[in-house]
Amino acid sequence: MAERSHKWLVPFGQLSPGRQLILVWLSFLLPIAAWAAVSYVPFLWHPLMRITDPGSVSYFTRDSLVERKTFEAENQKAIAAGGAPADGVPANPVFLPAPHEVATAFHRAFTSPPKRKGDKWLHESLWQSIQVIFWGFTISSLIGVPLGILCGAFPLFSKITEPFVDFTRYMPAPAFGALAVAVLGIYDPPKIAIIVIGTFFQQVLVIANTTRKLDTSLVEAAQTLGANRRQILLKVITPGIMVDLYNDMRILLGWAWTYLIVAEYIGASSGITFFINQQAKYRNYDSVFAAIIMIGLMGFFTDRILAWIGRQIFPWQKTDKPGLLRMLALSKQRKPEGAAP
Amino acid sequence: MNAVNLPDYRTQSPAVADRFARIKRRPVILDVRHLTKTFPTHTTLSDLSLQVHRREFVCVVGPSGCGKSTFIRIVAGLEALTGGEVLVDGRPVTGPGSDRGMVFQGYTLFPWLTVKRNVMFGLEVAGQPFSVAEAEARQWIELVGLGRFEDAYPHELSGGMKQRVAIARALAAKPRILLMDEPFGALDPTTRCRMQSYLLQIWRQVDITILFVTHDLDEAVLLSDRILVLGTNPSRILEVIENPVPRPRSVDRMLSPEFLATRHRIEELIHGPAESEPATLPNIRLTMAGDDVE
Ligand SMILES: Nc1ncnc2c1ncn2[C@@H]1O[C@H](COP(=O)(O)OP(=O)(O)O)[C@@H](O)[C@H]1O
Ligand SMILES: [Mg+2]
Repeated sequence: MAERSHKWLVPFGQLSPGRQLILVWLSFLLPIAAWAAVSYVPFLWHPLMRITDPGSVSYFTRDSLVERKTFEAENQKAIAAGGAPADGVPANPVFLPAPHEVATAFHRAFTSPPKRKGDKWLHESLWQSIQVIFWGFTISSLIGVPLGILCGAFPLFSKITEPFVDFTRYMPAPAFGALAVAVLGIYDPPKIAIIVIGTFFQQVLVIANTTRKLDTSLVEAAQTLGANRRQILLKVITPGIMVDLYNDMRILLGWAWTYLIVAEYIGASSGITFFINQQAKYRNYDSVFAAIIMIGLMGFFTDRILAWIGRQIFPWQKTDKPGLLRMLALSKQRKPEGAAP
Repeated sequence: MNAVNLPDYRTQSPAVADRFARIKRRPVILDVRHLTKTFPTHTTLSDLSLQVHRREFVCVVGPSGCGKSTFIRIVAGLEALTGGEVLVDGRPVTGPGSDRGMVFQGYTLFPWLTVKRNVMFGLEVAGQPFSVAEAEARQWIELVGLGRFEDAYPHELSGGMKQRVAIARALAAKPRILLMDEPFGALDPTTRCRMQSYLLQIWRQVDITILFVTHDLDEAVLLSDRILVLGTNPSRILEVIENPVPRPRSVDRMLSPEFLATRHRIEELIHGPAESEPATLPNIRLTMAGDDVE
């Protein structure tokens, strides 16, 4: 289909690898370019003036930010009064730092100590957050995954748990915050509990549904081969849903990250949330952006790495990018030739 | 088709008659007695009785929706019956078991297992040690001619290869009877034809009884000893035909008079002697005059 391949817009069509790569880069570059444009092109937005020379305006100080209107009004007054007008350059509000400022803050966050003694470094805050996520997600999964599979496989489990789980998942996890603090104290345990509550109920339902989507004819085939209930659960259902389960877990982990921010407000504020709040208090919005971007980067790369691992450990998947293990196996064995039926 | 010149499908050559006599002396493997299956809305199978002898090849044909799949699934134990009973080796069927292997129309190989591990599945769940199961699986894979593909995953195989693995996998669990529900229905005609001769060869080389559902009448006549023709509305057995085509069979038998006569008989049974569909359509013209195709 040579003709198809040079069209960019074909419903359900395929793009060449080169074009895909271009688009992937563009998806990041376009927002950054927009950000840079707003930051560096003086006539785009820039609602404020940064004072470079206060002139005779009494309350202007160097480097302070004032509204353009105020700036012009004060200058007219100053001229009318025979004084010197103030000088200034267009500027954006402090909560929109320019890319280079954020980049510097990013660098500074890892290299220079926090302003206040006792405050945590960015990486320390992140590490604390990661631990909360890790334990919350692990504890939830230890119960949620097996329970989800059982619910999907056996109507008995589904009918006895899912209605309650369905009911509970509508209660927002943060609503349990006060309770969690009362029971578990103010440090990490209540935060972990919030992650668990936020993840667990969704997890059971999502995994139960994934399990139910398994092709039942595989189970029937196993039954006609003499497999008993336990063998069907362990040797057919579990491996059969593994790929989808793995992808569910990737999505659920993403949700757990969104609960993290709420969880960290509970009790003694901690982790990346505390870092962001502190920086916002000092009006270091460049550091705030650096931290937010850091979370994004971590989530993104974790997900990419998990996707890559997925390809390695599920060699039976039909994919245009076989995993390393499968490539090794294929290179060792005589390659299957299609055709011969 | 001109039926006038065809012999009677009931006439059997001495060799064929002798073969049927021998088959009937063998023990009954599958005994279906007055089987009835009623769904809340309607009855799909009523009072179906059939005895299949050891190493016999029985095909089930009938119009779509007549309950062929339901029948074979009941025998497999995958569906409950509502009346009568099904005995395999004299024991009533209560649920699925390894004494009744099944090959489905859709591909039901376990995608996460290699060909070898798929074929080992039945042996492993029966508690065979790995090395024994592996050695035995290899034999079955060789039997279906896929020795070079034992480490391939199902998605790397063609449809015909997948079904051969499915047959090997079912046979490795050593069933008494092999149940096949339109196993070649999804294959292209050439592959299907080759699979039919593979199956006949496997059947000759292995001690196995086969119950084979198909809607392809040629396939039924080519493969079977007997053909169970099911009808619908009301559901009933139309006839159990003793296939007069001598063995060994091959595709060139498909033009022999016995073959055509049998095929013709089944068609007659299924569609009725006076076809319910008119021979030509009403004469309605939607093209210009003079714009004829013929
Ligand atoms: N679960 C069910 N509930 C109600 N009717 C069913 C069910 N399963 C099958 N049937 C009916 O049984 C009949 C036979 O189906 P099936 O055995 O699949 O036919 P075949 O395989 O001969 O095409 C169909 O008419 C179908 O409507
Ligand atoms: Mg069917």
